[in-house]
Amino acid sequence: MSEVEDLIKKIANQRGVTGCMVFNNQGIIIRTTLEQSLTIHYAALITQLCNHTKNTVKKLDDGDDLTFIRLRTTKNEILVAPGFSRIFSSHLSSLSDRDYILVVIQVPVV
Amino acid sequence: MANASTSTMSEVESTLQRIHKHPGVLGIIIAQNEGKGTRWIPTDEENPVIKQREAYSTYCSAVAQQARSAVRDLDPLDDLKFMRIRTKKVEIMIAPEKEYTIICIQDPTQAK
Repeated sequence: MSEVEDLIKKIANQRGVTGCMVFNNQGIIIRTTLEQSLTIHYAALITQLCNHTKNTVKKLDDGDDLTFIRLRTTKNEILVAPGFSRIFSSHLSSLSDRDYILVVIQVPVV
Repeated sequence: MANASTSTMSEVESTLQRIHKHPGVLGIIIAQNEGKGTRWIPTDEENPVIKQREAYSTYCSAVAQQARSAVRDLDPLDDLKFMRIRTKKVEIMIAPEKEYTIICIQDPTQAK
């Protein structure tokens, strides 16, 4: 578990990173470095987007699978990594049958 | 006026060709009016991406639209500029604009 915490802290401390969040595919927040209301907002929208994108990828090519989404907006960049549990399932064994989503918000530093 | 528009067209053509020449690029689709594909490169129908161009333009435009609504919901002043979907096999890059959407499919493992 502490490895997970360390990793999240490491990501959140990177230059340009505004926030780092982990939620499951139901939209339940596991860990976050941002404030609660904003995280809930992100969780709802990003889980929906993730599921839609996953289905789209499957529709376009059945043998393919979503691994990452990057959204570049005018103000910042949102990085979405679905399928977190494949890396950390040994630590989160009680919930290992569920997929997790890691979301990082950064202001791209050129 | 005609000269201005033809020179713009050839600029557009040369830009699209330049993008297509990048290693790993499987196809470029320009979608218009909520998913109706209007232009695609390469023009040969045997290319598997081009065979599915209607599907790509419909589905990718829909995903980009949803992503854009999500971004604007989070911050009304913000807007989606670019979206990259990385899958196991390819990377789909979507650039939504006001009148059209450019979708580019690239196999990053082929890119050097």
